[in-house]
Amino acid sequence: MTSSIFMHPATLFIVGALLLPLFRKFNAQKIWLVVVPLLAFIQIRYLPESFGTVEWLGFELEFGRVDKLTMVFLHVFTLMALIGSIFGLHVKESGQHAAAWLYVAGSLGTTLAGDYLTVFIFWELMAVASVFLVWYRKRTKSIEAGYRYLLVHTFGGLILLGGIFLRYQNVHDLSFDLIAPDSATFADYLIMIGFMLNAAVPPIHAWLPDAYPEATVTGAVFMCAFTTKTAVYVLARGFAGYEALAIMGAIMTLYGVGYAVIENDARRILAYHIVSQVGYMVCGIGIGTHLALNGAAAHAYAHILYKALLFMGVGSVLEMTGRSKLSELGGLYKYMPLSLIFTVIGGIAISGFPLTSGFISKSMIIAGAGADHQIFIMLMLMLAAVGTFLSVGIKLPYFIWFGPNDPGIKPKEAYWNMQVGMFMAAFMCIFLGIYPEYLYDMLPYAVEYNPYTSYHLAETFHLLGFTGLGFYLMVRYLKPHDVSNLDLDWFYRKGALAFMWLARKPVNAANEWVSNVYQTVGLRFTMAAARALSWFDWEGIDWAIDGSAKGMIKVGDRTRLLQTGKLQHYIGAAAGLVFVVLIVVVLV
Amino acid sequence: MIAQMITYLRERSEMMKWIFFAYLGFALVFDFFADRHDAHFWGDPVIGFWAIFGLVGCLLMIVFCKGLSHVWLERDRDYYDK
Repeated sequence: MTSSIFMHPATLFIVGALLLPLFRKFNAQKIWLVVVPLLAFIQIRYLPESFGTVEWLGFELEFGRVDKLTMVFLHVFTLMALIGSIFGLHVKESGQHAAAWLYVAGSLGTTLAGDYLTVFIFWELMAVASVFLVWYRKRTKSIEAGYRYLLVHTFGGLILLGGIFLRYQNVHDLSFDLIAPDSATFADYLIMIGFMLNAAVPPIHAWLPDAYPEATVTGAVFMCAFTTKTAVYVLARGFAGYEALAIMGAIMTLYGVGYAVIENDARRILAYHIVSQVGYMVCGIGIGTHLALNGAAAHAYAHILYKALLFMGVGSVLEMTGRSKLSELGGLYKYMPLSLIFTVIGGIAISGFPLTSGFISKSMIIAGAGADHQIFIMLMLMLAAVGTFLSVGIKLPYFIWFGPNDPGIKPKEAYWNMQVGMFMAAFMCIFLGIYPEYLYDMLPYAVEYNPYTSYHLAETFHLLGFTGLGFYLMVRYLKPHDVSNLDLDWFYRKGALAFMWLARKPVNAANEWVSNVYQTVGLRFTMAAARALSWFDWEGIDWAIDGSAKGMIKVGDRTRLLQTGKLQHYIGAAAGLVFVVLIVVVLV
Repeated sequence: MIAQMITYLRERSEMMKWIFFAYLGFALVFDFFADRHDAHFWGDPVIGFWAIFGLVGCLLMIVFCKGLSHVWLERDRDYYDK
């Protein structure tokens, strides 16, 4: 039993992350960064159907449950960990790589979990590890965005935990399986909301476009792949066929695209496109037919690769120029042509061009909606496809690599390892487009779907061609401006300011009044009482238990030295401690 | 080399424009020959439906989103720091 926990792919990444500083010391960090994800990518093929079942406090935890749905996600998560690690090879800080790997471990752990408690443990590991990928950017804005990200995810985690507790009270069973829509209770909906927060379903989506653009270049590549897609997996596992999800998903696709049309920061545009693309998957899960669920899984697979490719492309530009705003970029095709080509491949894949991965995956969900006679939803998804091509397929590359601006910078092409990472993702985007069976064979249900029908081709030719015509006609109105657009994070960002004002002004005034009264009246009584108690403590109690208070003072002094006063350190230490406890519990 | 190729094409923007229009024409002609045996709704049998949908959708989306940003959502960069 104890050996089986070591075959968990998350163990590989956790141990790998812990050993990273050692490998850095011996100048072998780059090798280790490739070896570990590669091992994981191979190892997942040899997982048994169930492993790592542990009895703990009367609960049965199942760390490993493997079926076809799990496999699709494991496959793309480990592949993505490999691509992302290669893309980040030039980053020297071991801490950043370790955070990325712990984050991957959280995601793999959630995907493999067979019960809600295990889901929750790894769910929180994901949130805590990923916030470091934002903080490692080390700018004031990143630190602030990181705290907001952490607070929102803590809130989501609490809702999830509340749901799990209530569910246990109701049914005394924590196994993580499909909950039929007509038997769902309040507890199940709480769990679903916790999952939806990580899937960035509006109105609880604003953490995503708030935090991702502030993350490090490599950090954003990891973040765009794991949090939302793990949420897609858990929704597909637990909540397939909920009509609310189909409607919310369709709204998401348009919501994200709408913001992408008006945003200026390249990584913010891509972040809003995660909302939009995850909308397709959430919608597919909500429709819940075999075709739509297959489509959601296929789209998650394809999406991780092309979205990471896009984040790598604009990340390269950010790394080499220090800029990511479209209004400050332009004409880079002379200096970074390879990054241009890779980004355009990502752009046409996300838009669903024939011979790319988007064409063979997105259309499954749309066909699923059509076959289920959800015509209105289908039209919304099609309209979102128009907006996707408009904003990421054309607008983004146009204003970075061509465009009317001449920023007067001459950056070098991205580092070799970044190019390798981009090449791998770009290769997969086209490979899946040409040979869709590779992906279709992995899907949870048997597939009888052929994307390359003449009608689907004609539909795509029209939709994308005439969107291009629209861009051509309207390009001068699309010129990006350096502004920020309000989103629903307004409520907690301005709300926090209002709270701070309340704390600073009225509450503080009341506090001062009370303390004035206390100082003049209460203090004298307290001092007298304290003197009496102090005498009793030193002379009475410490005498009785033999000088232990004096010993405590020494321990306290030592502990004080350990406290750095930085919240980041505490959170890191707490997460570390949880895992030490977990390992001890599992092994003993 | 890639940069030179792109420069070469950019210098011939008039030609690129006509190639693009020719592609749009081809897409419309292709639609007459597409096999439509599993139409899902009333728009599917209409020749050029998705062309109109794409163009009108694109134009409306730009007008609506840019307009909404302009009249309501747009704020200064340091809006939240004030």
